[in-house]
Amino acid sequence: MFNYAVRRIFQSIPILFIVFTLVFVIVRVLPGDPATAALGDYASQAAVESLRKSMGLDVPLWQQYLRFLGSLLRGDLGNSIITGYPVSSQIVNVLPYTLQLTFSAIILGYIFGIPLGISAAVKRNSFVDYFNRVFSLIGLSIPAFYLGILLMYLFSIKLRWFPVVGGGELWSLGSNLRHLFLPALSLGLVMTAYITRMTRSSLLNVLMEDYIRTARSKGIPEKIVLFKHSLRNALIPIVALGGLYAVVLIGSSVMIEIVFSRPGLGSLMVGAIKQRDYTTLQSVMVLYALIVVALNLVTDLIYGWIDPRIQYK
Amino acid sequence: MLKRLILFLPALFVAMGLACVSDITASEKLAQEQILNIAFDAGDLQTLDPHRAASTQDRSTVDPIFNGLVRYTPGNQVQAEPDLAESWQASADNKVWTFQLRKGVFFHPFPDHPKGYELTSEDVIYSFQRAADPEVSSYAGEYSGIIFEADGPYKVRITLEQPMSEILFLAKVANYAGGFIVPKKVIEANGNDWFKLNPVGTGPFAFKSYQPRQKVVLGANDNYFRGKPYLREVVIRYMTSVSSRELGLQSGELQIIEGLKEDKWLEKVATFPDVVIKPFGPCETQMLFFNMGTAPFNDIRVRKAFSYAVNREEVAAFMGKGLAVPIYSPTLAPPAPGAMTKAEAEKAGIVYENNIAEAKNLLADAGFAKGLKFEAIVSEMESSYRKPMIAIQAQARKAGIDMQLKVVDHSAFHGLIRQDASPIVYYASWRPDVNVYLTRFFHSDSVIGKGKKPDTNFSHYGLVDANGDGKVDNVDELIEQARWELDAQKQIGMWKDAQIKILQDVAAVPIIRLMYAFPMKSYVDLGYDLEFSWQTYSPQINEKTRILAH
Repeated sequence: MFNYAVRRIFQSIPILFIVFTLVFVIVRVLPGDPATAALGDYASQAAVESLRKSMGLDVPLWQQYLRFLGSLLRGDLGNSIITGYPVSSQIVNVLPYTLQLTFSAIILGYIFGIPLGISAAVKRNSFVDYFNRVFSLIGLSIPAFYLGILLMYLFSIKLRWFPVVGGGELWSLGSNLRHLFLPALSLGLVMTAYITRMTRSSLLNVLMEDYIRTARSKGIPEKIVLFKHSLRNALIPIVALGGLYAVVLIGSSVMIEIVFSRPGLGSLMVGAIKQRDYTTLQSVMVLYALIVVALNLVTDLIYGWIDPRIQYK
Repeated sequence: MLKRLILFLPALFVAMGLACVSDITASEKLAQEQILNIAFDAGDLQTLDPHRAASTQDRSTVDPIFNGLVRYTPGNQVQAEPDLAESWQASADNKVWTFQLRKGVFFHPFPDHPKGYELTSEDVIYSFQRAADPEVSSYAGEYSGIIFEADGPYKVRITLEQPMSEILFLAKVANYAGGFIVPKKVIEANGNDWFKLNPVGTGPFAFKSYQPRQKVVLGANDNYFRGKPYLREVVIRYMTSVSSRELGLQSGELQIIEGLKEDKWLEKVATFPDVVIKPFGPCETQMLFFNMGTAPFNDIRVRKAFSYAVNREEVAAFMGKGLAVPIYSPTLAPPAPGAMTKAEAEKAGIVYENNIAEAKNLLADAGFAKGLKFEAIVSEMESSYRKPMIAIQAQARKAGIDMQLKVVDHSAFHGLIRQDASPIVYYASWRPDVNVYLTRFFHSDSVIGKGKKPDTNFSHYGLVDANGDGKVDNVDELIEQARWELDAQKQIGMWKDAQIKILQDVAAVPIIRLMYAFPMKSYVDLGYDLEFSWQTYSPQINEKTRILAH
């Protein structure tokens, strides 16, 4: 397994390099440039040219590419070409908020999705099952950001329970949780829908296995059949696939961060696109790629850990 | 065990959620804390260096941090009044201007200077020289050729190359753009890059902190020379989603928000409890510029035809009658000095509008009897670009003009229109006076790509034969004469003559002016009556702004 992990890490280097190159080209192919975006329509052409020079955009593209690649290899993400603020500090400031949001949503997905999935599987074709199926269908169809706006309207405007602006103070638990609750719930409900569906189908498959029939015929109480014999086996794919859903959630979190005005990688990226902040945009997108590669690797490794029958070659 | 866990965890989550519940906006607390939250439609700041600040959010942030030698009265901004200068006087020929500085004005505290330091003429000279340096200032063009000298620590003498009227000159030293006074010692010690995110000024609020893509916090400057500010903090937030800003205003977490410049939206927001909306000027003017350098708009008949297809009243109604009105001047809207009214434009015979039959005739004459088709690039921004262009597109279609709109994001739009990529440019802008408009939009030096100082002359006016008589048409001389004219009435007359010539040649079609509206909570007292806000395009925050008990 160790050898496999090392090999995968080395394999991801060319992937990241390709991603970086593509990102570098794509952000520059976009029409418009950061100096114009920064100075607005009032500034003269001369002022725009002078700012372009101070941003280092007057040198040929290949030089910009090599310069950025060199600093990236040294672990230096550079400074925002708009504000001059270090990109690494920007990422360090917002990353905890994105991780907090994503992981809360995953946890919520599991703690609500598994019980709902179990109830749907056990009471198959009953009202509970139909209800859960409709719920998960809605959860999968409704965009998380729209759900977020609905939740804001109910809990913040009507009931005035939770704030709608910002991410709260990172190190103040109360403020942090108050600001996290609604965004995590918006994203978590989508995750719940995924997990509910997956738990239901996985458990139904297991419940139809021969060994379950055998257990039942031996007179083992249904609770033990369900929670001891069936659920443990049914959970294996659900837990392992959590990693893949985390990737989906990181993508969905972009809109949630915008809607809730939360700090995070998503709002950092969208702001950078609007401002044509090349350095910030490149670094954030490379980081996204890194997270996706890492999560895929971890998921693969978890498979083997949960199910020892899986061999890594 | 597993069963218990499965039932226990959801219950724990619900309990935690309920534990987090709190009343998010206790009204007494707001008035007690005096913390004002404003949200702008922006992803982030761009710079807090006042000599670079250009966007609404940046101008609004630097405005309460810095001062000028003079300032425009808050909320009205027609008259200049003393700011850092106690008084000023001009020489008989209006070439030399002398300013007496206010004593005892201190810059905000900064590293190594916990009490700040006193402002002197040295800082003023440094500030204007910096504003004139194109390497660090976006407004350098406004200050070139001007000599700045100190006459003792509290007196500054400014000598112009040519005499200038008070209206045009004071704009250069007022609390706006290059007129902001910055601390010499701070910038020399820390550099321009540092200053960009650590502004130090003399204004009622001092920079406190910045969280990228989130907010800037300003703290009260209790030593402010006009008195201690009522507000303790001003939190300037960057929120790109209009729904989020709206919900923040409704919940009371935000007290002032940048909204949409649309009647329907404003009508909706006006129904929120405790929200007041009062549209204010100076009003951006929206115009169509034809690229006269290439076909088909190099033919005046085609330009006139397009102009006849447009119905300004309809466009204004489409944008909302409370915010938009038709305009007939290709610069500013009345009552700005030099802007033409409809009656004046009609008298000059330069109103070509709302006549589809005439439009079709002209098109047929120009060889487009079967219609005309082209693609125009338009910015994604709804109220200032996309929406009015959709109205114009529908109107043009009636005359047989099929204008396809290619919507791009705002930054791309600015790039593309400067590369002649669109035969028609719809542009929304505000400039402080008619001179700036004429210079930057119609002087031959400003022609995009080809002028001596390429700027925003999208129509190529001044470098092409506009009316088909075989001669190049321009108003350069008129613009330059008017610029140095000291008699205000004569100056206005020259500005109008230039505009009439431009419209006779149909280089542009003035469409509408659009007012701004920032919905705010009724318990916010700005400390002045808001009619105009042309320095920030938003309600200015000053030492008299406060949150009332409610």
